[in-house]
Amino acid sequence: MTDPVEPLAQRAAERALELVVSALDFNALVARVDLNAVLDHVNLNEALKSLDVNALLDRVDVNALLRRVDVNALLDRVELDPLLDRVDVDALVGRANVDSIMQRVDVGAVLDRVDVNDLVGRIDMDELVEQTDLGAVIARSSGGAASEALDAARSQAVGLDQFIDRWVGRLLRRKHPRPPAPAALLDGQAQS
Amino acid sequence: MSRTGGWVSVQGHYAGSVSRFLAFLIDVVVSAGLFALGLAAASLAAQVVTGHSVSWNRTNIVVAIILGAWEFFYFGYSWAASGRTFGMAVLGVRVVRADGGGLDPWRGVVRALVFPLSFLFFGLGFLGILVQREHRALHDLIAGTAVIYAWDARAARLRFLARDAETGATGIPQRPAGSEGRDGDEGTSPAPA
Repeated sequence: MTDPVEPLAQRAAERALELVVSALDFNALVARVDLNAVLDHVNLNEALKSLDVNALLDRVDVNALLRRVDVNALLDRVELDPLLDRVDVDALVGRANVDSIMQRVDVGAVLDRVDVNDLVGRIDMDELVEQTDLGAVIARSSGGAASEALDAARSQAVGLDQFIDRWVGRLLRRKHPRPPAPAALLDGQAQS
Repeated sequence: MSRTGGWVSVQGHYAGSVSRFLAFLIDVVVSAGLFALGLAAASLAAQVVTGHSVSWNRTNIVVAIILGAWEFFYFGYSWAASGRTFGMAVLGVRVVRADGGGLDPWRGVVRALVFPLSFLFFGLGFLGILVQREHRALHDLIAGTAVIYAWDARAARLRFLARDAETGATGIPQRPAGSEGRDGDEGTSPAPA
């Protein structure tokens, strides 16, 4: 059986401690402490050696930390031009293994996304032929004078066809224009 | 009518009367020339074999029948095989199905069979080429065919430009006969596409 005086003494001590603590002005106390002097006595290097930084970082929620960072505001404060001036792009490119990068590119998938018909349609063939040796190649590979005469004869015939067609249309007083081509060919032209 | 590089495109459009008539004219000359050559070769062979000279008269019923069969073969085979005769190839026109699809060989044969009908009553059947909305003659209507321009006038345009570029490079001034179809000239020579 314990002595009944001991719990009584313990409660009295706790009460006395509470009274002392409540009577103390900690702010005033801290204000009187010379922290620099205290820190001078502390060997930070030794203290940090004993610190397990990895364990500390494991306890840090980096994502939560980053969520609190206003990246836009941060970037607004960064001057990119001077930063880029300091980047040696040639050296950077020189370090890149372009062959390796190209091997990882699915050229087929890239080409699938390209509308080749649209691309070809945007080429000014007239300009291309006039400005490059392609014209000479075509001229040598095509029949020369014979095809030239053929082109001219066909051209004249088509012209006369249309001339006669216009007059027949006037004579017959056609109100609706006649179809220029069979339906299947018109559809093909519309799609191309 | 679509424009390609400044030239009017007519490829795939119904062919007109002049192109078709000129094509037919060329075919008549070519087929008759080939027939005459064949007759001459047959005469020579008969002379070698029999020792007597053989003369053919076109009023001869046998010759007339052979001529008819030859013309049927010339046109029928050409249309069935490729949809065009030699004359049509020269003028850049082609026979297709009425809806624009490729010509079935049997249609080519039917077209050749009914072709003479268009000559009846002073060629009344050909009037359709002028007045029918799709430029189809009687034999076209019967065979379910139409004649279109199959001439790639855009390629012709490129050839013209190519020649122009080459003559420009050599410094020899030359004006191709087919240059009427350039921009700003859409009169009677709208030409190639």
